[in-house]
Amino acid sequence: MKNFGKINTALRRKNKKNYALLVACIFFSVLLITAYVSMMRSPTVLAILPEGGDSRKQMMMIFVLAAIGCGFFTTYAASIFFRYKSREAGIFMALGASRGQISRQLFYELFVISAGSCAAGALLGTPLAWCIWQLFRTLLVDTQEMTLAFDPQAYMFALAFSLFIFISIFIMGRRFIRRTNIIDIVNEQRKSEPIREVKPWYGPVGIVLMIVGGFGGYIAPTIFIKVYQWYPPAWTNIIYLPLFIGLYMVLIHTVVRGWKHGKSRYKNIITNSLMKFQGKQTVNNMLVITVLIAGAYFAAFYTPMLGTGAMQETEKRPVDYAFHYRADQNMLTRSDITAIAAEEGVTITSWKDAEFAVLGQDGQHEVDDEGGKYHYEYSKLNGAGKYIAESNYNAMTGQNINVEPGRFAAVLADDGTGDNMIQVDATWLTNMTTRKMLSVSFQKYLRYEMMASSYYVLDDADYAQITAGLANEWREKLVYFNVEGALLTYDFAKKLYNSIVDHSGPECELPEFYDRVEKIAADKASETYWGDTEQMTKISYAGRDSSEFKQFWEYMPQFRVLDRNNFVATYAVFLMLFIFIAIICFAAVLVIGYTRCLTIAINNLQVYEDLRRLGATPKYLYNSIKGQISKVFGVPGIVGTSLIYIFYVMIMFFNDNMITQSEISGLISCLFVIAGMSVVIWIFHRFTLHKVCKMLNVKQSGKQHTNKCTE
Amino acid sequence: MLQVKDLHKSYKAGKITYEVLNGINLTVAQGEFVAVMGPSGSGKTTLLNCISCYIPFDKGHITLGGQDLKNLNEESLSKVHNKKLGFVFQDFMLLDGLNVLDNIMLPRIISGDTSEAMEQRGNELCDIFGISHIKNKYPAEISGGEKQRTAVARSLINEPLMILADEPTGNLDSKSSRTVISSFEEAKNHLSATIFMVTHDSFAASFCDRVIMLKDGAVYKVLEKKTERGAFQEELLEAIKEMSGDVA
Repeated sequence: MKNFGKINTALRRKNKKNYALLVACIFFSVLLITAYVSMMRSPTVLAILPEGGDSRKQMMMIFVLAAIGCGFFTTYAASIFFRYKSREAGIFMALGASRGQISRQLFYELFVISAGSCAAGALLGTPLAWCIWQLFRTLLVDTQEMTLAFDPQAYMFALAFSLFIFISIFIMGRRFIRRTNIIDIVNEQRKSEPIREVKPWYGPVGIVLMIVGGFGGYIAPTIFIKVYQWYPPAWTNIIYLPLFIGLYMVLIHTVVRGWKHGKSRYKNIITNSLMKFQGKQTVNNMLVITVLIAGAYFAAFYTPMLGTGAMQETEKRPVDYAFHYRADQNMLTRSDITAIAAEEGVTITSWKDAEFAVLGQDGQHEVDDEGGKYHYEYSKLNGAGKYIAESNYNAMTGQNINVEPGRFAAVLADDGTGDNMIQVDATWLTNMTTRKMLSVSFQKYLRYEMMASSYYVLDDADYAQITAGLANEWREKLVYFNVEGALLTYDFAKKLYNSIVDHSGPECELPEFYDRVEKIAADKASETYWGDTEQMTKISYAGRDSSEFKQFWEYMPQFRVLDRNNFVATYAVFLMLFIFIAIICFAAVLVIGYTRCLTIAINNLQVYEDLRRLGATPKYLYNSIKGQISKVFGVPGIVGTSLIYIFYVMIMFFNDNMITQSEISGLISCLFVIAGMSVVIWIFHRFTLHKVCKMLNVKQSGKQHTNKCTE
Repeated sequence: MLQVKDLHKSYKAGKITYEVLNGINLTVAQGEFVAVMGPSGSGKTTLLNCISCYIPFDKGHITLGGQDLKNLNEESLSKVHNKKLGFVFQDFMLLDGLNVLDNIMLPRIISGDTSEAMEQRGNELCDIFGISHIKNKYPAEISGGEKQRTAVARSLINEPLMILADEPTGNLDSKSSRTVISSFEEAKNHLSATIFMVTHDSFAASFCDRVIMLKDGAVYKVLEKKTERGAFQEELLEAIKEMSGDVA
């Protein structure tokens, strides 16, 4: 015999597509978030991304975007589900079912759906992350560092997200049941959410707000720091808010008014009006898609920008092999290196070496005050600088420059960049052994790629005067040499690299940011030098193959063949992580877009049937569907991509107030990424279009259709 | 059977209050087939929604079978919907996931009756309304007229005191409309059903014993059928014209 439970079972069976959509959406969003958070909290990743560093912040920022997007999209799927359920509940209530009866069935269904989907998503999220990672390791690069470990605490995030989804759906269910009367519930399924009025100025003002918010948000921290000497707290990011308001306005304008006027407005009147009548949900979905596309590209651009820049820097080097070492080290001599080269069948074709000194410089440094503010204080021993005599500079570079007595020059890259990385306000240099001082002033910039942003050049006599009596621990030697067939000398380079590390003492086991002069000044003032705190990246010879060591060791050699071959391995975790993030975000974009388009089909089934009766040709119907689907995928795609590309250009420009050749190459590489991803989105858009046309019984060829109507 | 006394209902739109029902008084006797007609905005559907307790009313009394319907709690209201009232809607309101017989039996299933007698009653109603041949079909597989006859059968499964019908022929062609009206006549004649129908359709209304004309939220005129159907329809059309003819 039939009872209420069996009736509900029969209805579920018959309407399984609606249930499947909600199950799939919850499962998918929990799966993505769990996979992301597993990766984000993985000790493998955390060990590589420096704490407080930009990469970690970017990863966190994109996670927040992805979580908001997935949360939004799941609640949206739930709202579609409730709209479907509303008719059922309305009929039950009209026929005398109590709210209690309906809510028991509904909450039972919601519990099974949410708990099952969340559990499945959370359980499979980590294996998914592991599988993608293993795929990277198999297809792209595999290093010891890439052995993936997971932190069980990551499940706390997954659990929290699942709980959020679970609670949100139950709150929505409770609101749904508590509707005041049957009429509202019954009408729920037919409810549209049109945006009533959009003024013509919405779009243009939106664009202006986007520019003001994006530009203002980006440069505001610099203004606070430079002008007000204040490190702004995180809440000041609210300056970006006009960007999102503007984005919303532009999307509303696009959906409701469109950007074309005159005849074309009438041509697309069905497309525009159908979108307008689902306006709020459409715009909300498009906003989420736009933000996720921007986040996905932000992550996806990381690899080409880093790769192109690093490759170009490696290729531009005028010498194949370069390294420097402290004079007090028992380092390999020229004959030792020649012997290693001979063992490996490598012929050294040219050799240059020269001495330089590490001197103390005076200058201003920041002293933190309360509330994120700071002030400058002058110090005679402000930091260390690498100073080379002009004759040695000329010998090493092949240039013929002259530095005036009492002056110094600073070295920039060949393209003139790096002036923001090198201090030129020194007036006193200090010999760190004898503590004798030399008065100097800045004369000019020089250009040489190998010494860019690190070296200063002194007049020969000044150099001799200031380095008199300087101990070997403050003297260093710079070595440049070339070999025959440099790109075929990987084994030699690897062997030499290991030998250099082996010949370096524990006093050289330091990261490049460790400033020995600052350390002495801090000790003298009885303060703790920050380089001796936990904040400083730790370098260990035991980790000589790690990306951290290769990136940050003060005496890291620059061997072209090694750097070229090791690039992917060195940055493997970074690259893979950001590719992973991009994949997750793009996957979310495609699913949200697809779900939104299916809603168009579900909502407009009757409208298309009526249009057909009014004589609309299959081609007209097809173009109308295509117009809506293209907007859902196209507008966020164009806006999100343009936004993030412009943002990247802005970052590149404001780094040094210019865009370098390698940055241009990186940005061109990003265009290829955009082209590739656009093709993927386009293919998915076509798939979705095909699916929606099938649901609405509109033939894509536009030539004929089969009328399924039985009445 | 049904008594409506001084019924008031208003809606608020912003700061403006619209009086939709302005002191309605009417009665419907047991076994009577009554229609309510009136121009758009006259308050027909609001009256029906108030009687069915789908929406609350501001003032007045509605009594059904001696029971005052004002201020009933949810549980009691559900019982009224289930046991005392049967509903027929313009857009049928059948569940697409259930076949015709299951849709008909739905009110009984909701009330917890899972007896064999229920199924027997469902089959009987299928026979009475001529839909036995489609009882295992789903709503998507049957015509509009068949859907509405299914809805009429469903409204009678619990032997309610009264059937409330909201524009039952509004979505149907003339042939199907005639079939649905015949269903109501069957219900009235064979099952002693009391029917209260809101309609625009003078043809459908002409089958009723009595037609209540509404205008601006109040009873404008009550016409009783004293002649044969065709003449009564003429009389209705005249009355409609008299009300400034908003009704087709």
